[in-house]
Amino acid sequence: MKLIITLFMILGLSSCLFLGKEIGAKTEDEMKIYNEWLYAYKLQDLKTNGEMITRPPGISQLLFRLTIPTEGGLSLKTHCVYYQVPYKKIPGLIKIEELKTDATCPDVGSGESWLEIKNVKDLTVSLSNFKITFDFKIQDQKKSWKFLLPNIEDGLVHEKYQPVKEKKLYPGMTFLRINEDSFENQNNKYLGKLSDRFSRGSSIRCLQVDKNCQNIGEDRCNECRYGWYQVVDYQCPQGGSKFCGQNHCGEKNEPACPRGIKVVEGEDTGICQNDLTAVMNADHILVCQ
Amino acid sequence: MKEFKRSNAVLILLSLCAVLLLGVWFFYLKNPQNESKSDQFVQDKLAMERLLENSSEIHRIWNEGEDSREWNLYKSDCLKFQKINSKFDDSLMRCNPMLLECNAHFNKKLNYHFVKPETKNQKQYRYLTKSNTAHVGLKNSGYLFTIEDNQTHLRLNLLLNDSCQEVYLPSRAYAYGEEVSGAEDYRFDNFNQNIYIDRHLVTNQEINEWIDFGNPEFTKGILKKEADETFLPAINLTEEQMENYCSFKGKQLLLAHYFDAATFLPMDLEDVLPKKNTRSPYYWTKKKSEFKADCNLIYAKECFATKSYQLNSTSPTWAGVMDSMGGVLEAFRNPIDPESNLKASSFYFNFKSPWHKLGFRAGWDGEGFELRHFNFKGINPENVTVDKFQVGFRCMRESK
Repeated sequence: MKLIITLFMILGLSSCLFLGKEIGAKTEDEMKIYNEWLYAYKLQDLKTNGEMITRPPGISQLLFRLTIPTEGGLSLKTHCVYYQVPYKKIPGLIKIEELKTDATCPDVGSGESWLEIKNVKDLTVSLSNFKITFDFKIQDQKKSWKFLLPNIEDGLVHEKYQPVKEKKLYPGMTFLRINEDSFENQNNKYLGKLSDRFSRGSSIRCLQVDKNCQNIGEDRCNECRYGWYQVVDYQCPQGGSKFCGQNHCGEKNEPACPRGIKVVEGEDTGICQNDLTAVMNADHILVCQ
Repeated sequence: MKEFKRSNAVLILLSLCAVLLLGVWFFYLKNPQNESKSDQFVQDKLAMERLLENSSEIHRIWNEGEDSREWNLYKSDCLKFQKINSKFDDSLMRCNPMLLECNAHFNKKLNYHFVKPETKNQKQYRYLTKSNTAHVGLKNSGYLFTIEDNQTHLRLNLLLNDSCQEVYLPSRAYAYGEEVSGAEDYRFDNFNQNIYIDRHLVTNQEINEWIDFGNPEFTKGILKKEADETFLPAINLTEEQMENYCSFKGKQLLLAHYFDAATFLPMDLEDVLPKKNTRSPYYWTKKKSEFKADCNLIYAKECFATKSYQLNSTSPTWAGVMDSMGGVLEAFRNPIDPESNLKASSFYFNFKSPWHKLGFRAGWDGEGFELRHFNFKGINPENVTVDKFQVGFRCMRESK
């Protein structure tokens, strides 16, 4: 009996030793998140901004997803961030799941955790000036975690006399996850070769616009290795279809250069060398012949 | 007696517990693994905060360029270090890696340093484009610097875009070529295009980056030019090499009609769709008769006597493009009249030459630099024995 009492005392008092240590949400976890999210390119599906999340009680919900480059920046992965609101005996839980590709997240977290923070209460998530803040309570201790998202871009600003300006925390500066693999030629997935020509049929179309001025498929022009150029097709206000590579518009069997949408009409909307004529090809692109 | 024995036993037991607890406490507190692990994360957090603060400072210096206090402080040391004695336009320091390198070299108060990449050259950075890196999500090319925290050796990789030397061509109606009375204007507009043009001609410094970080197959035979030639325009590339350089940067060789757009001064800036594009042959005035023999407006042949030639030697056009008249010859790709692909207004001609007019172009075959490769349409340079003409160029790109 005495032995049991003694053991209990030892155990009870030993547990007090951990009081001085971090509970639940540790700097280690904070840094683990920080080191990944710093490189995030896209933040999507953010459903809350500044209000305390109290519903639905006891059920896991998706808060947002982030698209992040993998080590070396060779591909993209996704972080799905979930929160389970505490309810009776169900504890509050922030759970981050990692998907190996740039994909959409399931509405409810059911996969393996990349990180879990347990016993979370009174969570608010807010996004302001490219910084996402998590305020929460953990065993009645208040925590505030702030994560910079300096690579997230919220569009471009075009102003006369000025260079293009990205709407981001540090316009013109990006944090990269470079390593040796980033410089291996065989890993390069950017589109096109320098020798690609529209006239030879080797150019890659990175954006296709239809007659209703809708984009067909994905816009991949940012992935062109040697830049891109626009062709004349449906005179859309946002521009025509686009091809990767060196621009030889106006030359024989190459697309006509855009001449604009307001000062000329019809086949005059393309620029060709003065001994060539602009002719519409089967894809409705003006070509110089 | 019994009570005394019991209380003694409790006391001994408590003493034992206390000793045990002290032992356990000592073990946890002094266990280096436990303590150093949590301490390490706190240190890393502080280091990350320092690195981000330094990144923000680097970003500031990068954008402020010649206006930064760092350039003011280290300019003379920096130029000595780079063996540059000749004058150049300080605005070229904006988005220029030289300023960051010099700041890191001469500023002793920094708590970070740049990590030299494993390249054959002595540079503290790499030039990154989509053709020489596999890193996804790259939007524009730029300079990659790796900064390392002096205390913890934690590192961050920063890509700094060099797009701040471009200017946006406003959306409006323009006209191509000289205005010829009685002839119909060749008009065009860019209402559905965001066009960016290099503010200045491509420099030797920029070509050096291409040689160091581009595909050697395309730069074969091109020599690096440093020291006093660093900030002079690159003047000995063939047309194909010019196109390939622009492609390396994800751009295109400037098209002649966009050069006209950026240089002819609009008669009414507010009217973006005028019925007619009346054009003056001089970028500084709307009046056709207001020619000025001024080296700050056109760096013509006579100007060598008053000041040495440098980049950005003349005033900007209405759109912000420099060196639009005078200086070196400038090549374009002309999709309308390919044989008129050269801005002939240059220091090869004196102020009286008819070449000093906007939209009036000579021809260049793009292959060589001797007189036989040029077509000056009968208005050849007078009394000049030029072995090789100097032909500069600039790039442009479309943006979403």
